[in-house]
Amino acid sequence: MNRLDRPAGALSRGIGRITSAALGPYQTAVVRIGFSVTWLLFLLREFPHRHELYGPQGPWSWELANRLILDNQAFTALMWNDGRVWFECVYGLAVLSSVLLMLGWRTRTMSVLFMVGALSVLNRSVFVGDGGDNVIHLMAMYLVLTRCGQVWSLDARRAARAARARGGGFHELGEEAAEADPDRVGPVLWWILGLSLAVVTFLGQLGWGWALIFWTMWLAHGLWWLLGRQAPGSQLRALCDVVTNLLHNTALFVIMAEACLIYATAGWYKIQGSRWQDGTAVYYPLHLDYFSPWPALSQLLSTQGTAIMLITYGTVVVQVAFPFTLFNRRVKNVLLAAMMIEHAVIAVLLGLPFFSLAMIAADAVFLPTTFLRRIGNRAARARGAVFTRTRGVPEQRSEAGADTGGTGADTGGTGPVPEARTGAGAPEPYGTGAPELQPELQPEPNPNPEPNSGPEPNSEPEPMPQPEPNPAPSAPERPRP
Amino acid sequence: MDGYEQGRDAGEPPPAPRTGTAEPPRTGTAEPPRTGSAAPPPRTGIAALSPPYRIAAALALAVVALVACVHLAMIFLHVAPANTVSKQHGEAVDDWVYPEFEQNWKLFAPNPLQQNIAVEARAQFRTEDGGVRHTEWHSLSAQDGAAIDGNLLPSHTDQNQLRRAWDYYTSTHDTQNRPNGMRGELSEEYLRRIAVLRIGREEPARAADGLLRVQVRSVTTNVQPPSWSGEKLDPKPVIRLLPWWNVTSQDMEVRDR
Repeated sequence: MNRLDRPAGALSRGIGRITSAALGPYQTAVVRIGFSVTWLLFLLREFPHRHELYGPQGPWSWELANRLILDNQAFTALMWNDGRVWFECVYGLAVLSSVLLMLGWRTRTMSVLFMVGALSVLNRSVFVGDGGDNVIHLMAMYLVLTRCGQVWSLDARRAARAARARGGGFHELGEEAAEADPDRVGPVLWWILGLSLAVVTFLGQLGWGWALIFWTMWLAHGLWWLLGRQAPGSQLRALCDVVTNLLHNTALFVIMAEACLIYATAGWYKIQGSRWQDGTAVYYPLHLDYFSPWPALSQLLSTQGTAIMLITYGTVVVQVAFPFTLFNRRVKNVLLAAMMIEHAVIAVLLGLPFFSLAMIAADAVFLPTTFLRRIGNRAARARGAVFTRTRGVPEQRSEAGADTGGTGADTGGTGPVPEARTGAGAPEPYGTGAPELQPELQPEPNPNPEPNSGPEPNSEPEPMPQPEPNPAPSAPERPRP
Repeated sequence: MDGYEQGRDAGEPPPAPRTGTAEPPRTGTAEPPRTGSAAPPPRTGIAALSPPYRIAAALALAVVALVACVHLAMIFLHVAPANTVSKQHGEAVDDWVYPEFEQNWKLFAPNPLQQNIAVEARAQFRTEDGGVRHTEWHSLSAQDGAAIDGNLLPSHTDQNQLRRAWDYYTSTHDTQNRPNGMRGELSEEYLRRIAVLRIGREEPARAADGLLRVQVRSVTTNVQPPSWSGEKLDPKPVIRLLPWWNVTSQDMEVRDR
């Protein structure tokens, strides 16, 4: 590694990196899963209270919200109609889109719908939110710009299957399967959403800014699909890929910067507070009726003066220091663990589970790739074990003899697809002797550097538009004999 | 395999979707590597583009980088204390940040809240004989507290609704309870509707015939500093009494389900 390269060289290498790949696939995936799970759990938790919090006849009525939103121009689909049915539809859409985003089904589309759902609900009643809602609100918007379904998603699995269909099994059934079974869901979804968008635009419900954003995204998805179909090797498509990588990497950077800003703000303001200075700050929230679900525990804790002081100082130190520790991987990881643990404790002790979960999800963007992969592999193994145990027998019975050996391989194949590919196939191609600074700020040492002669250089980062014509082969994911 | 796919690509008109099939050429298999270094990685990203597209990509890069920098600067100015720059460009910052990027991370900072603020409410109703009476004070915050106690998953209805509605009210009213404009009026209505809803829940029979007026007050008690600090604060609660508010027919339609 020529570290003494002139700045120009470093700059051009940097530009090469951020335009040629969507960095941090595991980090963006974990952020995607983290926030969609948090939001999903929140929506389910508040399901019995949804009318009181966001419904047209709740205390913050549709009419009150309308007056405020006419003034502040926040985006919320819940203002498009004051009916109960519409309310239930939007709430349902919010739930559904978070499930699908979590699973990574048509990730790019779902990220948009997830944002629509989250903003609709959160902006509808801003006065019932807290810090957790605030983080979800922001991340829902940033996630739209990321390729967050490259790994740990149904999209990645679909892409891998398509790749295998084109690859090894090609000569037997891959080709036919690919040609006979093009992606239909994507285009249908695209048309439905386009129609809905047209209706909403026609009814004049969208401000011009949002209309521009949604129509641009819709057209971009269509363009990507078209290019993938008509001109997959073209320069235009390569350009689209570059721009998409650029957006992804920038959004990833903004997500990290946002997390740093959160901690920096929280920390630096605390330094100025007398209670944080005299070491008693942590004592007080434990005695607020709204933040002490376990009074006995709070009482017990608040007899420990020294412990309270250490926690108080520790909190400030960690929050203030965190952004700076990004320049040193090891220290960063230690602080990251500390912050996640602190948030887990806050979840229980102060009764702020969704806030804490959201913060942990935001923190997760800084987790090291190796750690995330290990978790992923473990999850895949656990899944494989469960599947073979529950499905093994019937599958052996119902499917051809060749598949008896395939059950294990099959489940193994569906689960850890991404790991198997990035892990085994392309051992950290560029990242080998990566300079000190890069891995910290961009946690993933180049995820998918188009491996040498890999079967599908581009199919693993589920490309941006949902209607991409990935053939979903009927059978070809079977292991070749 | 690559060769086969390329051949197919070259020979046939595109019959069906083939996203990946023709990808390898783009990323460099077909393009002769232009750099002379040993074992060069395939050209990817911006380097794989031909000049006109490279210019477009560079343009995109410039725009995206610029927007990101501006965005982060705006967010920074938004969360930072008022300073030279933000005082000068406050309006631009607000225009950028509101409504969707608003944020507040002064979590328990600079100092954590050191008071328990209990919001209480009572209502006037008409008796059967045509007289007018009012209910006892209901401590709405105490209801919240009871719902939060021992709860692993406190609801926003218990933890945030009333607490933040009260914050909203106090931040949009002066000490004489005069609203500071539209937001102040909204907060008043909001608080009133919460009171109506909660009292209706407690006294369904009286609320059924319609409440006439409601009154809200706050009872603020200092959290006593820890024993080891040696500090003592006045334990006497401070009461802030709001005027009686007329309940409208719309208010009576407030529902929680």
